[in-house]
Amino acid sequence: MTVVSLQNVTRTHGEVRALNGVSLDVAPGELVAVMGPSGSGKSTLLNLAGGLDRPTSGTVVIDGHDLAGTADLAALRRGSVGYVFQDLNLIPSLTAAENVMLPRELDGVRTGRARREALTILAEVELDHYADRFPEELSGGQRQRVAIARALVGERRLLLADEPTGALDTATGDEIMRLLRARCDAGAAVLLVTHEPRYAAWADRVVFLRDGEIVDSSAMPMESAR
Amino acid sequence: MLALLSRGPRYGYQLRAEFEASTGATWPLNIGQVYTTLTRMERDGLVEPGSADDQGRVVYTITEAGRTELERWFSTPVGQSDRPRDELVIKVAMATATGEAAQVLAAQRVATMRAMQQLTRAKRDSTDGLAQRLVLDSMIFKAEAEQRWLDHCEAILKEKNA
Repeated sequence: MTVVSLQNVTRTHGEVRALNGVSLDVAPGELVAVMGPSGSGKSTLLNLAGGLDRPTSGTVVIDGHDLAGTADLAALRRGSVGYVFQDLNLIPSLTAAENVMLPRELDGVRTGRARREALTILAEVELDHYADRFPEELSGGQRQRVAIARALVGERRLLLADEPTGALDTATGDEIMRLLRARCDAGAAVLLVTHEPRYAAWADRVVFLRDGEIVDSSAMPMESAR
Repeated sequence: MLALLSRGPRYGYQLRAEFEASTGATWPLNIGQVYTTLTRMERDGLVEPGSADDQGRVVYTITEAGRTELERWFSTPVGQSDRPRDELVIKVAMATATGEAAQVLAAQRVATMRAMQQLTRAKRDSTDGLAQRLVLDSMIFKAEAEQRWLDHCEAILKEKNA
């Protein structure tokens, strides 16, 4: 069972092959990191895995839905995929809890239930005491934790993280990786793009992209005694 | 060892255990090395042995000269040239000359990342305190520097061969 599966995926932009015959599965509980220089296809890979784009050939299956047979990608994304970026995009005029509630309210969930869900996930990222603070009243690391809570609220099991530690100092970056790791251990699937080897090393599997192809991967044996 | 003795007198076996605990068992010591070093430091006046107990064990105490030496050690930065030659650097230089750099870089990239993943897992599982965590962090930062250098080599070689 995989949360996202790419099989022999190619994506061309005009003459340019941004991605060429890539196959990649991410299972629940798994943290996969993608490393590669700029122009290697990282962003294209992330966009396809998140249903923001469709492949030119090959198949992408997200949470059991083949993109080829899915007319409404936006609905699939809302239900299944959470995103965390370097630029956090928290809305400054909303509190931490309100930011986390927002995607659920857009899903049509009533305010009371959306707030309960938001407080639950904020507690899981150890921010329950900060629920009513505004983004500017939080540290960079706390804001990124709110963004992770927002990405995972509801039933979403796939988290796509694009340089989530980018603007943070190394100790805070570690704290964010520890949290992503914990969400994985709780059953989420995380696909992480980073150019910092130190953060990629938190992954179960590190995939190296070069010129649109996976050239190597470094997998850790699954932990048996945890 | 002087650093450990500065916290109070210790038996040799205690020094070994405390050293390994605070460095995360990164540099295992055998007890022979501990006693050789203690003997040398005693000769240099940096430590003083007490009298042997009924099991023949001796407690060592740091001397004033030992404290001065420890202070000097802490206040002296480590020089770049004090570190041994790096086999990987030599290997990449030789492979570049013979045209095999791409294979060397690719193999090392996976090996270094795997080592970093193992260190990171050890850090996650570590419950033995701050010193051990910082030692693991040091090894992770060094491995990361190596990984960045490998990427740099790859980019430069690609540019030259284009």
